[in-house]
Amino acid sequence: MRKYWKSTAIIVLIVLTIGTFYVNSATSAEQHPEFVIQTQSGDAKEINSLVLEGSYTDTSSMNYVSTNLKITADGSTYNSRSFLDQVTGQPPTMIKEFREEYRTFMRGKQSWVNLYFENNDFLAYADVNYKMGSLRTRDFTFDLSVLNKEDDHINSFTVKVPNSGELDHIFVEDIQLFDNEMILITQNIMKNDFNNETHIYTIDISNQTISNHEPIVQDPQGQGDTSFNVQIMRTNPTKANEHLVLIKREVKVIEDTESIREEVINEEIISVNLQTKEKEEINIPDLQLDNNQLSFYDGSTIYFMILAGQELVVTPYSLEKDQVGQAFSIQLSGEKDIVHGQMTTVKDGKLYLASAQMSSTIDAGVIVADLKTTKTLFKGQIALKGSSEEKHHFELYLHEMFVK
Amino acid sequence: MKNYLKLVNFEFNRIAILFSALLGITFVAQIVGVIVQSRSYLSMANEKIYDEMMSKAQFLEIFGQMSFLQIARSVWFMGPIAFCIAGVGFYIFLIWYRDWIGKNTFIYRLLMLPTTRLNIFYSKITNILIMTFGLVAFQLIIIPIEMLVMKVMVPNEFRRDMGVNEIVSSMPELGIIIPTSIVELILYYGAGMLVVSILFTAILMERSYRWKGIFAGLIYSAVAAVVLISPVFLHEFVLNGFFYPIELLILEIVMGLIVLALSVWLSGFLLKNKITV
Repeated sequence: MRKYWKSTAIIVLIVLTIGTFYVNSATSAEQHPEFVIQTQSGDAKEINSLVLEGSYTDTSSMNYVSTNLKITADGSTYNSRSFLDQVTGQPPTMIKEFREEYRTFMRGKQSWVNLYFENNDFLAYADVNYKMGSLRTRDFTFDLSVLNKEDDHINSFTVKVPNSGELDHIFVEDIQLFDNEMILITQNIMKNDFNNETHIYTIDISNQTISNHEPIVQDPQGQGDTSFNVQIMRTNPTKANEHLVLIKREVKVIEDTESIREEVINEEIISVNLQTKEKEEINIPDLQLDNNQLSFYDGSTIYFMILAGQELVVTPYSLEKDQVGQAFSIQLSGEKDIVHGQMTTVKDGKLYLASAQMSSTIDAGVIVADLKTTKTLFKGQIALKGSSEEKHHFELYLHEMFVK
Repeated sequence: MKNYLKLVNFEFNRIAILFSALLGITFVAQIVGVIVQSRSYLSMANEKIYDEMMSKAQFLEIFGQMSFLQIARSVWFMGPIAFCIAGVGFYIFLIWYRDWIGKNTFIYRLLMLPTTRLNIFYSKITNILIMTFGLVAFQLIIIPIEMLVMKVMVPNEFRRDMGVNEIVSSMPELGIIIPTSIVELILYYGAGMLVVSILFTAILMERSYRWKGIFAGLIYSAVAAVVLISPVFLHEFVLNGFFYPIELLILEIVMGLIVLALSVWLSGFLLKNKITV
């Protein structure tokens, strides 16, 4: 036995050390503080279905590793960074649910919620593919799939993008499904002048052809220091909408000696009926949207939202009635905290608002308001649970909010 | 089994000196690194606080506390690790060739042993594994010692103490050597052993057929690499992302096991029938 002491010793050492290390790291998992949403006024039940997603970073060391977390009424849960979770990846919650429920359909599909449409009967998907290799002409094709939820039938096909030689690139921004028609809203970047245009393609599903396509809004290249941009009004990405709401802006860049800022010269809000392709400009006097992109379209009403000092001014506009509703404002707390960004979403006639950033010096508020009665139903604040007396340096960024 | 263990022990005794040299270099260089880094932080603090009249709080606000990460990111710490990796990489070849070159062709005696010749292959690959894990284990042991040295040198209020786990998880480059979970440890070092087995097969090809064998070895390595990446390649370019990530991982593991089995079989065949002295 004495002959073997060296190799025995080294093997024992290896097993003990590496074993201890992994037993230790399994038992002493990273300690992250718990976040809760504290009620300041109103009914705490209102936030039961609200989920805030973000990332937490401990900035007190040089260690800038951030961990994703979810904050709900029940507290916070951190995503485990275990190896298997990293392999599976962390797609948006909606995609994760689709993957669990429709495993076969979701194979080989991008995890970007805008590319999906869902209603009670169907789940549809559209994306653009192009052949690699040839630099000059790209053959763009639409990659389309529709799942019939009732009989699990998957109808997958590809369609060539018309005039694809003129395109430099094309992105799918939203898809809608009406009976036998699929409507794709895309952003096309033209090859000759790099102008953008928002384009609508209507696809006949049973014939697997493009029955109609037309540009709706062109976004010409600006001259000198002005430029145009077109945005789609935020809405629930997978739900059915009869209209498409676009914001077209002409922006002028003003260069001062000290700063560069952008000024909106002209702003048009355009609604497009996706079935008739009828365009209509929405004119609301004295409404100038800001860059916060808080406005939200819930399928029937557009809620224009603008931050004004300590208030959020909400102007509802009903697309069915073509009518501007009574504007109202919601009081926010902490003026210096508001500038760090806000997030909004609308569901079932309720407006949910949350701050996008929190740290030891920035407070983050959460507000739920009823859009009909304009009353604030809940007002609260994200806080550290058991508020530790030691000053903790951290940053919390919230990037997504949704209502279950 | 007993013959295999005897061979492992025998091979280990042959690398013991080289192995202890690597341990020694690592220990000395890293301890020096701790001292140098702590000193430079302290002298900077001294300069700012006494010469430039900065308050302690102000200094900490701007420069932050010293943590072990500053040491771990320095060349004093990573350098010896890189050196050890190079050492093991070099020894993968030396472990075979030293038997042919040297005072007396040692491979004669090894091949004459009354045991299956594959045991020679197994004992050599086991030794590479022992050496690698030995270095990892040694690193895990000396990190707490180095922390202790830093604790002695840097006063409390300028220091942020971290656990070994925290250091490993916040340095991706260290996380490859010391993965944060046991699953990763098995996968990473399993992949490493797979590469070693392919290299061993290539070496044995060279030992069997000399010049022609070099080409055969290169071709074998290339084929093994292609087989290993074929699932990912198919997934990306032919099947349009058909597999879910977890399925792809399982496929890769299966492919790895197939290539490993093939390497072992080929090496056994070469050792038995083709090897020349």
